[in-house]
Amino acid sequence: MLMPPFTLHHPNSIAEAITIASNIITEGETFDWVAGGTDVLPNYKWRINPKPHVISLANIPEAKQLEPYEIGCMTSLSSLTEANGMHPLIVEAASKIASSLIRKSATVGGNLCLDTRCFWYNQSEDWRRSIDWCHKADCGTGADCRVIPNQNTLCVATYQGDLAPNFMALGATITLISPEGERVIPLQEFYQLDGMKKNVLKEGEFLLKVTLPEDAFDLTGSYQKLRVRESWDFPEAGIAITWRKGDYKTLKIASTALESIPKLHVEQVDSIITEGWSKDESVNTLSMMVRKSVKPVNNTALPPNYRKSVVRVLTKRALKNIGCE
Amino acid sequence: MSGGYRQQPGKSSGKRRDGKRVAGQQKFPPPGSGGSNPVMEPRDLNFIPESVGGKEPQPAGSHIHDRIRTGTVVGKPLQLVDSNAKVTGQAWYGDDVRLANETIGKILRSPHHYAKIISIDTTRVEALPGVISVATGQDATNRFGVLPVTKDEHAMSVEKVRHMGDLVACVCAETEAIAIEALALFDIEWEILEPVFDRKKGLEDVDEPIHWRGKYHLSRTNVQKRVFQEFGDRSLVDNPHAASHGKWSMEGVHHGFTEPHAVVAHWDPNGRLQLYTPQQVPHYTHRALSTVLEVPMHQINVIRTFVGGGFGGKSDPFPHEMCAAILSRKSGRPVRITFDREEVYWINRGRHPSDIEVKMTADDSGRISGFDIDALIDGGGFASFGHVTSYYNGVLATAPYELGSFHYTGARVWTNKPASGAMRGHGAVNTRCAVEVGLDEMAEQMQVDPIDLRLANLLPPHSRTITGFRITSNGMREALEKVREGSDWDNKFRKLPLGKGIGVGCGFFISGSGLPIHWDPNRFPHATVHIQVDMDGGVTVHTGAADIGQGSTTAVAQVVAEVLALPIEMIHVRSHESDTSPVDLGSYSSRVTFMNANAAIRAALEIREQILNAAWDMLGYHPNTLVLNDRRIYYKHDPSIGVSYLQALHKAQEDKGALIASGAYRSPPMGGVHKGAAAGLAPAYSFSSYVAEVDVDVELGLVKCTNVWAAHDCGKALNPLAVKGQIIGSCHMGLGQVLSEKMVYGRTGHLQNANLLDYKIPSIHEMPHVEPIIIESCDPEGPFGAKEAGEGPLLPILPAVVNAVYDAVGVRFRDLPLTPDVVFKGIERKRRSLKLEDSLDLPSPRLEYGPMQEPLMQRAAEHKVRDKARQRTEDTSHYVNGVLFGFDPNIPLEDQVDGWRMATEPDPEQLAELGLAGKAWLKKTQREMGDDA
Repeated sequence: MLMPPFTLHHPNSIAEAITIASNIITEGETFDWVAGGTDVLPNYKWRINPKPHVISLANIPEAKQLEPYEIGCMTSLSSLTEANGMHPLIVEAASKIASSLIRKSATVGGNLCLDTRCFWYNQSEDWRRSIDWCHKADCGTGADCRVIPNQNTLCVATYQGDLAPNFMALGATITLISPEGERVIPLQEFYQLDGMKKNVLKEGEFLLKVTLPEDAFDLTGSYQKLRVRESWDFPEAGIAITWRKGDYKTLKIASTALESIPKLHVEQVDSIITEGWSKDESVNTLSMMVRKSVKPVNNTALPPNYRKSVVRVLTKRALKNIGCE
Repeated sequence: MSGGYRQQPGKSSGKRRDGKRVAGQQKFPPPGSGGSNPVMEPRDLNFIPESVGGKEPQPAGSHIHDRIRTGTVVGKPLQLVDSNAKVTGQAWYGDDVRLANETIGKILRSPHHYAKIISIDTTRVEALPGVISVATGQDATNRFGVLPVTKDEHAMSVEKVRHMGDLVACVCAETEAIAIEALALFDIEWEILEPVFDRKKGLEDVDEPIHWRGKYHLSRTNVQKRVFQEFGDRSLVDNPHAASHGKWSMEGVHHGFTEPHAVVAHWDPNGRLQLYTPQQVPHYTHRALSTVLEVPMHQINVIRTFVGGGFGGKSDPFPHEMCAAILSRKSGRPVRITFDREEVYWINRGRHPSDIEVKMTADDSGRISGFDIDALIDGGGFASFGHVTSYYNGVLATAPYELGSFHYTGARVWTNKPASGAMRGHGAVNTRCAVEVGLDEMAEQMQVDPIDLRLANLLPPHSRTITGFRITSNGMREALEKVREGSDWDNKFRKLPLGKGIGVGCGFFISGSGLPIHWDPNRFPHATVHIQVDMDGGVTVHTGAADIGQGSTTAVAQVVAEVLALPIEMIHVRSHESDTSPVDLGSYSSRVTFMNANAAIRAALEIREQILNAAWDMLGYHPNTLVLNDRRIYYKHDPSIGVSYLQALHKAQEDKGALIASGAYRSPPMGGVHKGAAAGLAPAYSFSSYVAEVDVDVELGLVKCTNVWAAHDCGKALNPLAVKGQIIGSCHMGLGQVLSEKMVYGRTGHLQNANLLDYKIPSIHEMPHVEPIIIESCDPEGPFGAKEAGEGPLLPILPAVVNAVYDAVGVRFRDLPLTPDVVFKGIERKRRSLKLEDSLDLPSPRLEYGPMQEPLMQRAAEHKVRDKARQRTEDTSHYVNGVLFGFDPNIPLEDQVDGWRMATEPDPEQLAELGLAGKAWLKKTQREMGDDA
C-alpha cells in the first residue's frame, strides 16, 4: 500500500504548532495532527480521509510530559506502562492496548482521539467505492450510513479506545490548545455523540495533556476488556470502574467500544446509590442497568447483541475486582 | 570414540579440537572438500537401525532403506538448510526481485460481484504520462486452471467478472503512484447481473450461471461438481444402538501466509520469458503461462523465489502471473506486481465455506455401522482445486475407522465470491471435525470412553479402507495411546469442573496424491531428481520441489547426505528454476518428502554405486564389504584400509568428468476402478490424534485452549525438529479455524475483513502449550520410512477442541468458528432449557461407564495384538474393511453380502432422501436434457 503524499510539519513549540495550523486553515487547506501515527497513518494508506498536511506533535516539550498526575499527549503507551508511579488502572488499561510493538509508537493523545471504527469504513478505497461510499467518508456523494441505512444524519461508527473510560472513571480533565488559547474540560465532555464529529475539538485545536485529580490515587479501579485475541484487537466492549474503597458514593462506571463515544454511566450509578446499596442485588441491578444503557450496532467483529449482553458480566467482574459487592 | 572400531594403531590420542591437522597425526587422509569439520566423525550407531547392526530402535519393524543408512543426518534434529538466509533477511521473496529498468504493475479489479463487461476504453489510461503498457482480457483469451478438467480462468476477465475483486485489466507504469492513478482512468461499461452469494441458492436454476459447461452443465444451476458414493452394507444402519446426527455450518478460512502474492516478469533479450514468482507449484504456472501466452514451454523459465508461506494458497497458476507476463511482453521491460493484503483475500483459494450434515450409527457391539455424509461446499467464482475437494470431503473422512457402510453426497457450487481452493488439510478438515464430534456423541450415548470406542474400531496396518484406499503403515493406535497417557486423560475426561474440558480428535491424511494431475502415472514418474557431483566433491541436487517453508529442500539434502555419508553442508539443492530443475508436481497434497525424497534416494544410490565401484578398484574389496562414512570409504573389517571420498570420487570421474545421476519416483498401482476412485488415493497415509484441554469462560463464552498433546504418525521423522515445527504450526492454524478465523461476507456480499486486524489469526497469547509426539510407524514405501507431516497434523485439533468445549460446558457446537458470541449463545440456550438463573450453575457432563465399555476395551486389546503383528509383517494376511463385521477378506465383499454396494450414482428411489448437497442429483445435465427433448 502506498502512502498518499502529504506535507509533514514539525513544530518545536505550542506556539509554532498553532501558527502552522492557523496558516493552513487560512490557506483553505486541511490537516491532521499526528502523535504516534498508529491510527491516522494506516487510515491514510487506505485513503480514508487523507489530508494534504500533517502536523506532528512529537517535538513539543509540553506534549512529552509524563508525571503521575500530568500525562502529555505524546506519551507512548509503553512508557505509560513502564514509568514509575503511574496510576495502576491506567497501567492496566494501557498494557491491554493493541500489541507490545504498537504500544511503542502509539500515544495517549492518539488513543483518546482515536478515530471511530466501522467495517463499512475501515476498508480500502476500492472497497468503499464499490459500496458507493458511506456517510462517514462519503467523498462528496452524500452517501447513506451502511450500518443503519435510510438515515444519513448520524454516523454510528464505534469508538474503540481503551484509555478514555479509565481516565473518565478517575475523573480526569484534559487540556485543549487552540489559536484562541487553552481550555480545560472534564474528559467525558470531550466526546460528542456522532461517529464523524467524535469530539469537541475545534478546527486547529489539539489535545495537549490529561490531568488526574488530586484524589485519583485514592481510587481503586478495574478495567474489563472484551476482545477475541489478547493482542492487537481493539476492545469489543470495555468497562472501567473506580471507587474509593468502601465509599459507594464515589463509584464511577465508564464504558467504551459500545457506541460512537465512551460514556460515563452517572445516572445508573446514582439511582442505585439513592436506593441504597444492598450487596449482590445491587451488583446485579447495576450491571443490568449499564447493559440496558448501551446501544451497540453491527459494525465490529462481534455481533451487537452479544456485545450488549457481556456488558453485564464485565460490569459485575469489575465491581468484584475492586471489592464493591 | 569408545567402543568404536580400530583407527590408525598407535595414533588414537591427542586429537586436536581446533580443527587443525598436525603433521603425522591426522587420523585419515585429508577429507573431501566442503563440510565444516576436517576430521571424520565416527559412525553414529544411535542413528543406524537395529536391523543393520545399529542402535536405533525399530519397534515398527525394519525398512528397505535400512541398509543405506549411514547415521549421518536422518532422524537428527537439524536446522533447515535455508534458515540462515531467512533469519538474516537475505532470502529473496517475490517482491525482493529487482530487475533493472523495472516497471510497476497494478491490477484493476471488479467493483461488482457479477457483471458483464460491455466495453473497456483505455484511451485515458494510455494518455497518462508515465504509463508504459495497458492490458485487458482481450489480450489473452485462452483459459487456464490448476486442474486440466476445470480450466475456467482467464488472465483477466474476458466477458464477465465473477466476484468483487476479479481481474478486469492491468497497467504498468514508471512508479506505483502513477499505476494507481491510472487505475481510475479506465472507462468501463458494465451490465450488472444478479449475483449469488448463498451456497444453497447455488443449487437452483438461474438465468445466467456463473460458468457454463455446455452439455455437461447441470441444468442451469451453479453446481460445478456433484459426487455420490455409497459403499458397504446399508442394512447395517437400521436399528442403531447409538446414533449421531449433526448439521454443521463452517465459515471459509484463508491461509493467512505472511508473504502476499508477488510476481516479476521479464522477456529477456532472446525473447524468453523469465518469470519470478513465489509458487508452490511452479510447473503448473509454467504450463498455464504457455497456454495463455501461446509460447512453447521451453521459451519460459519459471523461477521460484523463496516462498513466504503457502499452505495451498500459492498452488494455483494465478492470473496476476499472466498479467505481469503480458504487460512485460507489451512494454519490453520487467514488470513487478505485488499484492496488497486485500488482493490476497480476493484471490483467496482458502478453505471452502461448508454446510455439512453427518449421520452416523453404531451397532450393539459398538461397531460403526454407517457414516452418512452430505457436504455442500461454496467454491466461489472459480473451480480451482474444487473438483478434488468435492471428493475429499467424503472419502478422506472414513479411515482410520472400519465402517459397515459409507454414504456420501457432495456438491460444490459457484458463487460470486473469491474462489475457494486447497488449504492445508485440503477438503478433509471440515468433515473430519464433524465425524470426530459425532463419534464423541455416540460414545456418550453408549456410555463409553470415546478413546476406547475409537481404539476398538481402527483399521489395522496393511489393510483397505471402505472406499478401497490401500493403507500401509498405520500408527493410529499408538498415537491414541500416547495422547491418552500424556494428557492424563483417564483422570480428566468428564471429571473436570464446569468451564474446564478435555477432548480428543483423530486425523487421517494422504501422503502424496496417487495420481499426478497432468499425466498418466504409468507413463511418467511423479517426481524426478538429478544429482551432479563434480571434482570439488560438492553434490548439486536439482529438483523442482518447491520449498514453501516446510523444509522440502532440507529433506532432499538430508536423504542425499545420508546415502552418500556426507556432511549436509556439502549438498547443494538447486530448486528455483524450471530451466535447471527436472519437472516436479510441486508442493501440494503433502507429496514432497514422500515422492521427491524417494526420487532423490534413487539418484543418490546411483552416485553411491559409482563411488563404491571406484573404491573397489582402488582397494580391491567388493562394495558389499565397504563402509561409507563421513567422507571416507573403508573396509568393513579393517577401517584403516580405505580411501577418502574425494579420492574415490576422482577415480570414478576418470574419463568421464562429473558424475551425474537421475532418480525418479512413481507410485505403485493401487485403488479401485469406480468413478472418483483416484481421489484420495495415496501411496501412504498419515495418522494423528490430539487431545486438547480448554478453559471456557462460561459467562462470556470465550474459549481458550490451554494444552494440546499432539501425536502424529509421520512414518519416520527424517528431521524431528521440522516435524515438531509442522505439528505446532498445524495446531496454530487449526486453532484459528476452530476459534476465531472466518471470512466474513456482509449483507451486500462484500468481504468485510480482508485484512489481518479483522481476520483473526490467533496470536501468541492464544497458543496453547503443545506437546508434539512423533509416532514412527515406518512406512514400507516412504523414504527411510517417512510419510507426510505437513497437513495431517492440522485435522485433529478442530474436533479435539470442539469435544473439549463440550466436556467443559455440556453444549455441542456445530458452527465454526467458536467465536465467543456463538459459544455464549449456546450456553445461554442450555441455561434457559435447564431453567437456571446463572450459567455458572450449569452441570458438567459426567461419564458412568455403561455395559459396552468392557467389551470395547477387550476388543481394543485384541486388535492391538493384531495390529502389531501386521505392522511388523509377521501377519501378512489380507485385511479389508468389513472383517470386523465378519466378512472374509479373501472373497469380494459383494459376493458374500447381499446388498453390499459400491455405487457412484444414486438409485432413483434414493433421490427423495438425499441431503442438501445430494439435491444436486435431482438435476439433469444439459446432455440428458437434450436427450429428453
